[in-house]
Amino acid sequence: MDAVVVDNLCYKYQPSGRQILKNISFKAGQGEIVAVLGLSGCGKSTLGLCLGGIIPHYLGGELTGRVQVHGIEVKDHNVARLALEVGLVFQDPETQLFLPTVEDEIAFAPENLCLPPEEIGKRVYDMINMLGLSDIRQANPNQLSGGQKHLVALGAVLALEPGILVLDEVMAQMDSTSKKKIKDILVNLRLYGKTILIIEHELESLSIADRILVLEDGALIRDGQASEIVADEEFLARQKLMF
Amino acid sequence: MAFIDLINVSYKYPGQQRTILHDINLSIWNRGCTAVTGSNGSGKTTLSKLLLGILTPVTGLVKLNGQPLTSMTLPQIGRRIGYVFQNPDRQIFCATVEEEISFGLQNQGLSPDQVLQKVKAILDYFELTRYAHTFPLALSAGEKRRLAIAAVLALEPDLLVLDEPTAGLDPYRKRLLGDYLEKIIASHKGVVIISHDHQFIARYATRFIRLKNGQVVEGQGA
Repeated sequence: MDAVVVDNLCYKYQPSGRQILKNISFKAGQGEIVAVLGLSGCGKSTLGLCLGGIIPHYLGGELTGRVQVHGIEVKDHNVARLALEVGLVFQDPETQLFLPTVEDEIAFAPENLCLPPEEIGKRVYDMINMLGLSDIRQANPNQLSGGQKHLVALGAVLALEPGILVLDEVMAQMDSTSKKKIKDILVNLRLYGKTILIIEHELESLSIADRILVLEDGALIRDGQASEIVADEEFLARQKLMF
Repeated sequence: MAFIDLINVSYKYPGQQRTILHDINLSIWNRGCTAVTGSNGSGKTTLSKLLLGILTPVTGLVKLNGQPLTSMTLPQIGRRIGYVFQNPDRQIFCATVEEEISFGLQNQGLSPDQVLQKVKAILDYFELTRYAHTFPLALSAGEKRRLAIAAVLALEPDLLVLDEPTAGLDPYRKRLLGDYLEKIIASHKGVVIISHDHQFIARYATRFIRLKNGQVVEGQGA
């Protein structure tokens, strides 16, 4: 079974009526890293929000077509249920950090699943170590740098152990050491069968992707092997995707 | 005399034990493009907020044209230094994109015709004309960042401080921004860019300051 199935997805924000996604169809398999590329405003983040169920459950609007994660129809299940399948790290991590310490932030979701305290402690310990957060484990997330906030948000999401991850520009504000660390972690998670969608602008950050989806003005204009698309400089230049 | 001088500046956030910046001595001119780099949490954003008077040093002094920032109001400082936050949501508050850009210009006392002309030019340059009447918070993150940058650039401050300006910008918009910064620098104004985007700063910066564990480890001099 494909981990993600998107079929003929269209989406309009309300009340503006702006059509953001136009007949998007693709599938992503278990253990696949799929990157989503395109100019600002082309619908990349909106697509990510559809996978996590934030659209249509929180943001409303008009969604047609099908979005399935692990066989579950997104529009028929609430966000709490979907969070067990899809871990979503937002472009702006401040929208998902709200607890007084980094440790609390990572423990929050496992606590809400009523996991045994020793399992919660283990997951927090693992995340803190894996993401290199031990120096700031007691820090207030609001007082961290942008890159550190993204690491904490990622830790909080990974602590739920979802099978699908959607990462919206998490590496944009990270230093090169943190970027490398995240890429290594994602490659490792792929080995465990996780399906990962990364939304990024920097071609360098896409080096771990198996496939790339290119969006233009809400439409999927190319879906292919990452190595082919990254090598197609003429296409990337035409799409204004090269710096 | 430098435009901004930081003299023995140290800072830690209230209620926190960790000192973010230690004994910084630095001069910033309102000419050229200065890049501030360093790993996450090294104190870059804190440094930028000290330059603006948004934060006040725990010890030491920050001077703007020889005058201590503590003797100036934020609007007085804001007329000389433009600041684009790392998170554009922090500075966007008007009902439409057009109003967001005209807000600062109106406060500078420009005539309605001048405001209109400048707003039109900047909307065109940053390709935001189609969103002129859109509610800014309905834009994508990249579009919001372009708007936040455009609104500050329209004011033509003596020094522009941009915190991670390329995060969320696609490569094409990064080049547009860089080209605009070159124009600003050519008109004898200064730019400070805080960024991890080495490709971008390598192309546009003329001076590099690197922070490590709250200290300047490179670029202390001019």
